[in-house]
Amino acid sequence: MKVKRSASKTLTYTVLIIMVLVCVAPLLIILMNSFKGKLFISDDLFAFLTPQSFVGGANYVSGVTKMNFVGAFGTSLFVTVASVILIVFLCSMTAWYLVRVKNKFTSVLFYLFVFAMIVPFQMVMFTMSWVSNRLSLGNPVGILVLYLGFGAGLSVFIFTGFLKSIPIDIEEAAIIDGCTPMQVFFKVVFPIMRPTIITVAILDVMWIWNDYLLPLIVLDTGYTTLPIAIQKIFTGGYGAVDMGGLMAMLVLSIIPIIIFYLAAQKHIIEGVVAGAVKG
Amino acid sequence: MKTKMKRFAAITATLLLLCGLLAACGGGSGSGGGGGKSESGQVYFQNFKPEQDEAYQAIAAEYTKETGVPVKVITAASGTYEQSLRSEIAKKDAPTIFQINGPVGYASWKDYTADLSASEVYTHLTDKSLAITGEDGGVYGIPLTIEGYGIIVNNKIAAQYFALPGAQATSLDEITTFAKLKAVVEDMQSKASDLRIDGVFASTSLKPGEDWRWQTHLMNVPIYYEWSGEDADLSDPAATAEIKFQYSDNFKDIFDLYLNNSTIKPTVAGSKTVDDSMAEFALGKAVMVQNGNWAYGQISGVDGNTVAAEDVTFLPIYIGAPGEETQGLCIGTENFFCINKNASEADQKASLDFMNWLYTSDAGKAHVTNDLGFIAPFDTFTDADKPADPLGQQVMDWSAKSGIQNVPWNFTVFPSQQFKDNFGGYLLLYAQDQMGWSDVTSKVIADWAAEKAAAA
Amino acid sequence: MQKSLTKYFPAFVLPTLAAFSIAFLVPFVMGIVLSFSDFTIVTDARFNGFDNYVRAFTDPSSNFVYALGFTALFTVVSIITVNILAFLLAMLLTRGLKGTNLFRGVFFVPNLIGGIVLGYVWNTILNAILSNFDLTLMYSANLGFWGLIIVNSWQMIGYMMIIYIAGIQNIPGDLKEAAAIDGANKRQTLFRITLPLVMPSITICTFLTLTNSFKLFDQNLALTGGGPSNMTEMLALNIYHTFYGRNGWSGPGQAKAVVFFALVGVIALIQLRITRSKEVEN
Repeated sequence: MKVKRSASKTLTYTVLIIMVLVCVAPLLIILMNSFKGKLFISDDLFAFLTPQSFVGGANYVSGVTKMNFVGAFGTSLFVTVASVILIVFLCSMTAWYLVRVKNKFTSVLFYLFVFAMIVPFQMVMFTMSWVSNRLSLGNPVGILVLYLGFGAGLSVFIFTGFLKSIPIDIEEAAIIDGCTPMQVFFKVVFPIMRPTIITVAILDVMWIWNDYLLPLIVLDTGYTTLPIAIQKIFTGGYGAVDMGGLMAMLVLSIIPIIIFYLAAQKHIIEGVVAGAVKG
Repeated sequence: MKTKMKRFAAITATLLLLCGLLAACGGGSGSGGGGGKSESGQVYFQNFKPEQDEAYQAIAAEYTKETGVPVKVITAASGTYEQSLRSEIAKKDAPTIFQINGPVGYASWKDYTADLSASEVYTHLTDKSLAITGEDGGVYGIPLTIEGYGIIVNNKIAAQYFALPGAQATSLDEITTFAKLKAVVEDMQSKASDLRIDGVFASTSLKPGEDWRWQTHLMNVPIYYEWSGEDADLSDPAATAEIKFQYSDNFKDIFDLYLNNSTIKPTVAGSKTVDDSMAEFALGKAVMVQNGNWAYGQISGVDGNTVAAEDVTFLPIYIGAPGEETQGLCIGTENFFCINKNASEADQKASLDFMNWLYTSDAGKAHVTNDLGFIAPFDTFTDADKPADPLGQQVMDWSAKSGIQNVPWNFTVFPSQQFKDNFGGYLLLYAQDQMGWSDVTSKVIADWAAEKAAAA
Repeated sequence: MQKSLTKYFPAFVLPTLAAFSIAFLVPFVMGIVLSFSDFTIVTDARFNGFDNYVRAFTDPSSNFVYALGFTALFTVVSIITVNILAFLLAMLLTRGLKGTNLFRGVFFVPNLIGGIVLGYVWNTILNAILSNFDLTLMYSANLGFWGLIIVNSWQMIGYMMIIYIAGIQNIPGDLKEAAAIDGANKRQTLFRITLPLVMPSITICTFLTLTNSFKLFDQNLALTGGGPSNMTEMLALNIYHTFYGRNGWSGPGQAKAVVFFALVGVIALIQLRITRSKEVEN
């Protein structure tokens, strides 16, 4: 019995380790090739690094300079962080209002937000880009409005779901103590919402950081985000495709996400699952 | 009661906001541009050719330094020019200079092109018939360059082959027909290891977006023979509404020759780019590659380039059509610049000033010939301004040869990018044995008619 | 409470509502209207009835119907591969082995990476593998199809696995023990106890895979770009190509977008129905 158990244990581990290899191998291969000379990359992607094929950080230098990595990285970072802050504050406020003020208007509004959740981006793609152009939103600040508006559906939905479950008593007590609704929200409600806020923030960080199509069709020329730059470098938008620089750029665009993940792994897994189950 | 009032006020405020928004959306349809720009105007040039992006960026920087006028150059990825122009031109900060490829491009963009007949740069155009004119007689597109393409040959390796015993020819001059070309190529391929090459032709790049050398440039030759047999008047849309693709088998013959005597197997052509083929040629892995004079920069720019400037020669693309012994290179232009008439007056003027500087000032002219590698069709260019690159020089030589009939660029009236992309897709499937040639032929004929009808 | 809060509408709701109107409400309504119009730049729209819909479905160069079929097939196969593999992994990771958390953490990583980056990572790797057989992803629709399945599964399995793990862990331990005492073998425990009790997770995961696969865009664009010859073009990419790749196709493009929206909406309604009825049963 014991022998059988440990045999099945070994088997489980073997399967798991094979799966882990399948899972990370693609990323490791890209990482390894980012240090190879470009001719070695096209020659054999799977060959291990050798002193001949190793070029140090040359690919990183050429990639970063060719595609203005710093600019794209900065735009991506700014848009992601600023949008998420806006979404978290404004949508949680809206959600609280919708939960605590009950009338026809708020319930219609709530259903509109829920409705927006299921509408695919392609449905509003063309018209949204037109509206945003008319309102001059094609820059890193203007696009925040679009992310707030398009992200409001899911965020308001998740926030209201949570707020419905918390009792109104504390808030009413605070009002009786003479707090204005603004004070009640930021001193009482907002702190209680912490776990949900983390969930929403994580879902939105992952969405906005990786988003390709919305910034592509909305941003004016001159502004680039990381996914757009990656797409451009692969299709020769910066001149001849340089396999070395390309591998390096893939690595550089993955690293921030991995750091973010390592820093907040527990919250991310929980948050993403919570979002999925509720959504 | 009080809450009701408040609620009413709130709803009104929302509605007002929505109305304001809709009004902002609905109003001001034609007045897109303007506002908040510097008074002296600025230039935003949307460039068509990725190969020349670096050169244009340098020129723009120099012009800005010299005049203080901001010049922005954006280049679209290969095969996506129409697509990115469509999204850019709808924006407020739209391109002030953009490019069209000829009459078909003009038809798509005529709502945006300004009349250039009064511009200075137009007065210098040597052959006014080269410009794109509208039905009203206005000039809406001015060519930036004359270009030529054919089969680029590495003379050094070719000479080694001609010296081998049993070679099918003794020099390139003997090749004036498809039959001779085929005999030479196939024999050369069989001796590839003696010549230390991977194949005669560099890879047939069929990756989507990288297939224009076949669906546009190669296709030009059979269509040229079809139309010259019919004496078709290309300015008449009815004459080009349909094709018979009568030289379809000739297209297949030359395309097969490219595919079967290549550095790669036809099944991997779908991953190859034009850059890949030019690199193979530059590294001496291939002897021949179909491309134009604009590719010389690509050849000479490859690290480890083994091909000396004096070793590159053009050979016409022979497809086995009757009378091809006197056929020359394919020479013409698909690079016209237009000024966006919806841009502000100041921007339009700044843009014209920039183009004028580029084609009339000594500094500008030097960039045009040396950095952009253009053969400029303007009288401001003298013999001293001839291009330095060997392929550009040869295009000029071919265009002056007596007894030679160069092939015009009829592909400027090919239906649409969609037609070309579809055709490229069929060629890819054909190369991989996934589609028969008769299917390719019938689909091309059908697509041509459908896309022409859709544009009409 | 409600009284004092109501008048704070401009502070609490207005900013979100304004952005929501700009980014969603107005574009949505315009989108519906424009799908029945002939237009190139929005302001020149003229009503033309159902012409756009007819063109979207019947024009031979539209490729919409083909893309719909391809997307449906892709979605069905994805649901099967993703859910079976994710469930197996979840089973392995709920046996109380050491290092479970580490494994779980690693399997989740692909899910974090954006579709564009991911598509190009796999584009590079799959083409390098295929080059050993003198093939490329562009060789046939079949290769492209399975390439997309690999990429999509690779990305989603870790995510679904987490949901399944939560589901399995929610099964009360004494139930399994009782089954073991009653002499149930492993297979019986799996089919009689585990599977019925993780049904809610299975429903969630099936629908998540369904909608995400159905709406796939970035990976499609980066891996095959729809090639060869538009034979691996999925719905979202087809709509994008119609809008931004062709002259005179804005109207049919918007009509396709509306149809796409309707299909996604129907899927969501079915999902809601099923989860609601489950909740009632429980």
